[in-house]
Amino acid sequence: MEMKPPPEATRTLWSLRRGEHCAITGYDDLLAEAYKVRLMEFGFYPGETVSCLQSPGFGAPKVYRVNNTIYSLDDEIADHILVESTPPRD
Amino acid sequence: MTKVLLIGSPNSGKSLLFNRLTGLSQKVANFPGITVDVATGKLQGMDDVDLVDFPGTYSLKAISAEEKVAVAQFEKALEDNEVEHVLCLIDATRLEKSLFFTLQVIRECEQHGKAVTVLANMIDVLEANNLSIDLPALEAAIHTRVIPISARSGKGLADIAEQIRAARSAGAQARRPHLVDTPDELLRGTAHQLAQRLGPRGDVLVRTQNRLDAFFLHSVTGGFAFFGIMYLLFQSIFTWSTPAMDAIEGSLAWMADGIVPLIGNSILQDFTADALFSGIGAFLVFVPQIFVLTFVIGLLEDSGYMARATLICHKPLRYFGLTGKSFVPMLSGVACAIPGIYAARAVDSPRKRLLTYMAIPLMPCSARLPVYALLIAAFIPAETFLGGLVGWQGLAMFGIYFFGMFIALAITGFVSRARKDAFDDLPFVLELPPYRLPGIKPLLRNAFNRAKHFVVKAGKIIFAVTLVVWVLGYFPNYGADLGQSWLGHLGRVIEPLFAPLGLDWRYGVAILTSFLAREVFVGTLGTIFGIEGAEENMVPLVQQIQGSDLTIASGLALLVFFAIALQCVSTMAILAKESRSGTLALKMFGAYFVLAYAVAFLVYQLASAF
Repeated sequence: MEMKPPPEATRTLWSLRRGEHCAITGYDDLLAEAYKVRLMEFGFYPGETVSCLQSPGFGAPKVYRVNNTIYSLDDEIADHILVESTPPRD
Repeated sequence: MTKVLLIGSPNSGKSLLFNRLTGLSQKVANFPGITVDVATGKLQGMDDVDLVDFPGTYSLKAISAEEKVAVAQFEKALEDNEVEHVLCLIDATRLEKSLFFTLQVIRECEQHGKAVTVLANMIDVLEANNLSIDLPALEAAIHTRVIPISARSGKGLADIAEQIRAARSAGAQARRPHLVDTPDELLRGTAHQLAQRLGPRGDVLVRTQNRLDAFFLHSVTGGFAFFGIMYLLFQSIFTWSTPAMDAIEGSLAWMADGIVPLIGNSILQDFTADALFSGIGAFLVFVPQIFVLTFVIGLLEDSGYMARATLICHKPLRYFGLTGKSFVPMLSGVACAIPGIYAARAVDSPRKRLLTYMAIPLMPCSARLPVYALLIAAFIPAETFLGGLVGWQGLAMFGIYFFGMFIALAITGFVSRARKDAFDDLPFVLELPPYRLPGIKPLLRNAFNRAKHFVVKAGKIIFAVTLVVWVLGYFPNYGADLGQSWLGHLGRVIEPLFAPLGLDWRYGVAILTSFLAREVFVGTLGTIFGIEGAEENMVPLVQQIQGSDLTIASGLALLVFFAIALQCVSTMAILAKESRSGTLALKMFGAYFVLAYAVAFLVYQLASAF
């Protein structure tokens, strides 16, 4: 039986590979409200474009760019940020 | 006297600006319950104005108890009649990071009738890269004066005092409130739009940063860079500190040699030599290590590399309940727990900082080395194999070093799983600041303040305990025979406690005195066995121990006991001060003693069976 790829909306920020871009669609329900607010304060708004700049080996936190600021998030947080793919920046 | 508050988000250059604005006139204090320093200094050019440097924060909506304390203190300060102006610092190169917080600060100032000015720092970086922000439009949008400055070059700093004077003559009421009742949600949206519309265009800065990150975070090149830099950090604690430590010891010995013979009374003479000079020397000797480590960590933080190092070692440490930020404090702890505990301030999550505190005293610090060297020389055969490349004694030293690290990680892993919701935590979202050349003067000042904090705060406790141990060891026979002193009697009283490990009263006394510093164990045994200078030449003491009734099983038990037990008054004093909890220090002392004893008993029983 042919396996269907997961729907685009279920992708999380953690699944981004180096050089990929995405738009934030929201947060899942497991993420604490205070953490959601803090993420938005950092610039991770729904609708915002995020790029994955570095994906170090051995499961280390990945490096993301939001506007002109660069953050590192580990899977415990990035896996709760829902995204959809977007074309690369110019 | 009036006050001006300086507030801003982390990595916006606040410390450098504060140092620029206040020069040398600084006082450092803490809010109760948090570890972050609050510095106060006279604003240069305005002698009647104190500038108060608040902890860097991303938002006035706190999510941890510690953040809540800092925010509450800011709000309390706004109610202070002496506070007349707030300077809110933003990073002009990354407007979107700071604007929401800036709007929150403006709203708070409007609510309390305080004047506020926004300082757009790093304007020189924008100019150097042909970038700009639309300052007039920003000022109009937020109804607040925005002064472009460079804390590094000094550009625009003269305008700050000018603005404070102007606001003073105009009066805070001259400002018409705009944001008083605006909720956070609306401020957040406004900040986002303003940053998009008025912030710098282009990503030349991010591209430069990313090129360096591609090297420093690469699995291979980043790994080599990490080990190289951490090696330098570790070496700096030992190598760079040693001349100053030797100088302190030498100076105190020289002073003691000069002063002690001038004292007529023999008790006072012994007190001055052994309690006063040795007691002061016992903690002053740590000052160079604290200074050097604080300076080097400051270099790594200001250069932007520390955030990358944190990222690299976050994953493996997370498994044990720690964070990447725990690595440097733990590495420092391998040299000495005291600078390691100071370095743990960088761990922003209270939960993970507590776990880091728990791990640091178990790191195999240099004070354990003489104890290990003595016991290994006494009980482990000096045989080598594989052509002399490998020996039992070397393996034992290697094993006991890693045993301490293993126990540290096992404990933090266990506690983090057993007490999942017991402490405040923060998510791992780490801002990677741009790579920059550090400013040396503020780092030297910070290192000086940290060393001073140690001497002033921990020195009293350490000296008091030193004094107690000296009195117990000196009386009633005036230092003639340690075995017949009150300490010797105490050793016999507690002999049954150590008897299950096969240890007699002499080792009990040595364990008691080693609470001053672990290496004192060697000197005390030397005194009890009647050997002068055992610390410098251990061979006669090793022979004495080998010739005594002590078994190999007891020797191994002592080794693991010292690997775990928190036998260090200086560590406990600084742990109590830094964690703001004497109870935590006492609990850790008790828990590690019980664990050390239990593991030592197990080792003794197992070794005795073979």
